[in-house]
Amino acid sequence: MGFPYSHDLETTTQMSRHFGEEKARTLEGWKSLGGYAALPTALEMEPSEITDVVKESGLRGRGGAGFPTGVKWSFMPQEPDGPHYLCCNADESEPGAFKDREILRWVPHLLIEGCLIAARAIRAAHVYVYVRGEYFPYSRILAEAVVEAYEAGLAGENILDSGWTCDVTVHIGAGAYIAGEETGLMSSLMGGRAEPWIKPPFPAQSGAFGRPTTVNNVETLAAVPMILSEGSAWYRQWGTERSPGTKLWCCSGHLVRPGTYELPLGMPLRNVIHEVCGGAPNGRRIKAVIPGGSSTAMLTGDELDCETTYEGMAEAGSSLGTASPIVMDEDTDMVRAMLRIAQFYAHESCGQCVQCREGTAWVAKILQRIDEGDGTMADLDTLYHLCDQLTGRTICPLADSVVFPLRSSLDKFRGEYESLISR
Amino acid sequence: MSDAPKDITLTIDEAEVTVEAGTTVLQAAERAGIVVPHYCYHPGIPSRPAQCRMCLVEIEGQPKLQPSCVFPAQDGMVVHTESEDARKARQSVIEFLLLNHPLDCPICDAAGQCMLQDYAFETGQLKSRYAEAKVVLGRDRIADDILYFGDRCIICTRCVRFMEDLAGDNALVVAQRGHKAYIDTFPGRDLDHAFRGNIVDVCPVGALVHEDFVFKARAWDMDSAPGICPGCSTGCNIDINVTENQIVRVKPRYNPDVNSYWMCDHGRRLPVVSNRAVRAEAPLIRVDEELEPASWNEALEWTAERLKAGPGTALVSAGESCESLFYLRLLLKDLGIAGGTFRVGSGDEATLPGFPKLKLRAERAPNVAGARLVGFNTAEELPSVSDGATLVALGDSLWDAPSDYGVNAGFFLYAGSHLVPATANATAIFPAALPPEMEGTLINYEGRVQRFHRALRAPGVARPAWMSLSRLLEHRGAGKGALDIRAAFSSMAAVTRGLDELSWDDLGLRGRSLSEAGEPALVADREE
Amino acid sequence: MNKPIHPAAVSAQAFQVADLRPTDRLFDDEDGADRLQKALSRYPEKRAALLPMLGYAQERNGWVSAAAMEEIAQVLELTPAYVRSVVTFYTMYNEHPVGRHLIQVCTCISCHLHEADEVFEKFLGETGTRAGEVSDDGRFTVIEAECLGACGFATAVQVNDRYFENVSPGDVPAILEELD
Repeated sequence: MGFPYSHDLETTTQMSRHFGEEKARTLEGWKSLGGYAALPTALEMEPSEITDVVKESGLRGRGGAGFPTGVKWSFMPQEPDGPHYLCCNADESEPGAFKDREILRWVPHLLIEGCLIAARAIRAAHVYVYVRGEYFPYSRILAEAVVEAYEAGLAGENILDSGWTCDVTVHIGAGAYIAGEETGLMSSLMGGRAEPWIKPPFPAQSGAFGRPTTVNNVETLAAVPMILSEGSAWYRQWGTERSPGTKLWCCSGHLVRPGTYELPLGMPLRNVIHEVCGGAPNGRRIKAVIPGGSSTAMLTGDELDCETTYEGMAEAGSSLGTASPIVMDEDTDMVRAMLRIAQFYAHESCGQCVQCREGTAWVAKILQRIDEGDGTMADLDTLYHLCDQLTGRTICPLADSVVFPLRSSLDKFRGEYESLISR
Repeated sequence: MSDAPKDITLTIDEAEVTVEAGTTVLQAAERAGIVVPHYCYHPGIPSRPAQCRMCLVEIEGQPKLQPSCVFPAQDGMVVHTESEDARKARQSVIEFLLLNHPLDCPICDAAGQCMLQDYAFETGQLKSRYAEAKVVLGRDRIADDILYFGDRCIICTRCVRFMEDLAGDNALVVAQRGHKAYIDTFPGRDLDHAFRGNIVDVCPVGALVHEDFVFKARAWDMDSAPGICPGCSTGCNIDINVTENQIVRVKPRYNPDVNSYWMCDHGRRLPVVSNRAVRAEAPLIRVDEELEPASWNEALEWTAERLKAGPGTALVSAGESCESLFYLRLLLKDLGIAGGTFRVGSGDEATLPGFPKLKLRAERAPNVAGARLVGFNTAEELPSVSDGATLVALGDSLWDAPSDYGVNAGFFLYAGSHLVPATANATAIFPAALPPEMEGTLINYEGRVQRFHRALRAPGVARPAWMSLSRLLEHRGAGKGALDIRAAFSSMAAVTRGLDELSWDDLGLRGRSLSEAGEPALVADREE
Repeated sequence: MNKPIHPAAVSAQAFQVADLRPTDRLFDDEDGADRLQKALSRYPEKRAALLPMLGYAQERNGWVSAAAMEEIAQVLELTPAYVRSVVTFYTMYNEHPVGRHLIQVCTCISCHLHEADEVFEKFLGETGTRAGEVSDDGRFTVIEAECLGACGFATAVQVNDRYFENVSPGDVPAILEELD
């Protein structure tokens, strides 16, 4: 079960090269595969130098928003007046996304090394890896690796005799999608309800425990060691000017070969779906793809000729998100699929903002009624109205997340809604 | 370097307003007389989660609507609170809040004072598009005197944050999440904080209600008058809500120098309880061993003739107004009686950590400082009365006196509101109004002179004690009676160090500090 | 307890497990005291040890009782009400006892596209329970879960701390068979 699926794109397996190899999980094995080569380099560099390399590489946050990682690091105070923190966001919970767990379970030491280098760059004294609670098997693997790192002097006090001290703690959640939002994550880490807070204060000013904090996604941090070892120019051989590098794709739904693949950014989405993943089983037509995880706008099977970059997907009217396409074939009931998505967001709303608390639940109820055959045409107008009122009104983007698939579903598959209503 | 914050000027709905740096857009708008509707923001609660999204406004240059409760005003900023987008956003918040809100305004105690009702009316959307069944939560008891109506709750979390930020007791929380969220305590642990009642005041809707107020009065039927809490020497500013000459509710009245927006539950309960007691309603004079009703003129004349200068004892109450105490002092001088004592009940203190100045103070009377100012001292015991001496008792000073107290006095004058066992021994009784039934001043623990207004009619022909005592002096030829409170206050202020620079009008609704520190005393006494 | 837990891993212990070690008092024994002390050592604020300690309570007893919330509140200097607000925010803390095997069937979008609803129904049918109930023999509780993060391997089913992937309705009897 699970990764890896064999495929023929060897040149892009940088981060994922050792997925599936038991050996890679142990410190000894990982070192024999060339692991922990970048950390000594980082220890000899000034924090700002590390940040500069990452800036030059153009690495963008892999958690969905795509914010340039080096730029984010540079927001941290240059002269600490107390501890800084790094939070590694491993609360992977977006429906469709399951890429980070492959990193956690196959190459935990790669993530640890990335965390340490990033911590060095932002002058963090402690790294908290926040893993979603459900990922017990994977947080256990990561925790074992962290303990190994401690025992080998790679974490904790005086790392590799450099005089630099940095702790790493694996911290698991308890079931809340919203803990994947950076301020929600910090609220949860601090022992609270995972409620996002309004910015300012920005995490780089006052984050976890009231101290400057950077929150980075697992995949982002896992890309750091290779960027530092091989250089930013090397990293830029993949992808485009504005979206450089490789990206883990996790593809699910009606596919011949669902799974996680590392692909260069910029590949046409059609190739990802049809070539890499083999298209829909039994030669069925693809009706819709939600390209970046369930919070992105749906594309129809005919709209897949877009470039899989942050900018290319935006141009196509959707978003790269976490590069987690959910593929639906011609037999899919789009209303029910949308209902499932809406129910997810209603279930996961933290309940602070009125629009999100009441609106997501309302959307789900209307969809449920339409699905049961009790809908009216006026319901469709109400849903559009809700799309407007759930966009850009709330503290965090959870409410917006239901709007992207909903609006696109209404626009592109209106016929299905109407036929249920008129039935 | 100057630390003084710079002033900034911004434009809100075409009105230009200048405010200090650090002011939020919502506060700046308020300064310009523009109300931005809001729920979760409360000026007295420090945390600002910006979660109700009701105060979203359009700010030029900002891509999205911004919550004005936290967005800092900036120089040159242009704000539109009534733009199409802002109005629509507000309207939709109301629509969302009403989805599962019961239509029980006709039986809701908040109706008429409800921010949801007001704004729903304002946005004018009368028809709900909600075709689903409403979620029903029912109601719950969260303190022995507070009920929670879950269906009405809009999860603004003001109550939760009052308990956390002000009371420092995280005993009230949001349970569950999303559309299933509600407010709750830990099972089996009701709220027992001494300031818990404030959660009812901060609730913008009818979700939290004092049980003793449920179904008691409609907002539009109540009259309200500003008063001072009689519960302790803090002197919290209050609003006294009255229907049919009964106090039905007391709410704190904002005074940044005394109690901010808050008051304790001890004080909140007192005036409502004081509705019930046996009151003196007409002047009584002792004729042929019996106390007989008399007209005021009769009683004053009768008493003025019979009260003789000589040895005597005076006891007063620190719940009486400064003016009443002052005129009693003048009467005592006229009779040649010095001194005079009062007793103060004491109790446990309770603090509100988020506003440390506000405390339920151990001294359980509102005018201890005022009584001292006009020359009365505290005593532990009831003073003994020598045979044949004069006894003068003012206010609630005899509540626990034995039933034969004062029976040996030569003349026993009681000017008070309640009839208790010992008052049966009085020679004359002047029925007195209680503070909610009159106007006057009280001086709190830190020397703040505060006015209270009349909320109720006094029973029968009861009058403020200052009025009857000043007229008694006039009848004795020892001065001129004060006809109104303004005259009474200025007569007192003219001869009282500390008050001499204050006027009735200056006191306003927020009071003033005594103008001189140090041991206060009557100027008149000092001169002698 | 075999190897002592490293402090770096103390907040990463699986708390939905079949082998319970029930206790009325969480922190009176050496194990509990050690967990608490180690968790506290990893954060600048006591409160941050709340989630790890709630997890510990569930790891021992299978659910988080009111008594456990009060005990945790006491050691972390929080109010029980606060602890409860946190417990009820998250989906993974059981507020009631559950079967020895908590079976969570992901019915979110990707799994929904792969017969998740049928898998869920099959689990209910095979265990003879309704959603959330404990089976008569105390072995099973079956619930629906939102996305479990194994979307490529639908339907994903989590049983305590284990994942079962690519589950189809036909696989259900064999899975139940494997669970004691």
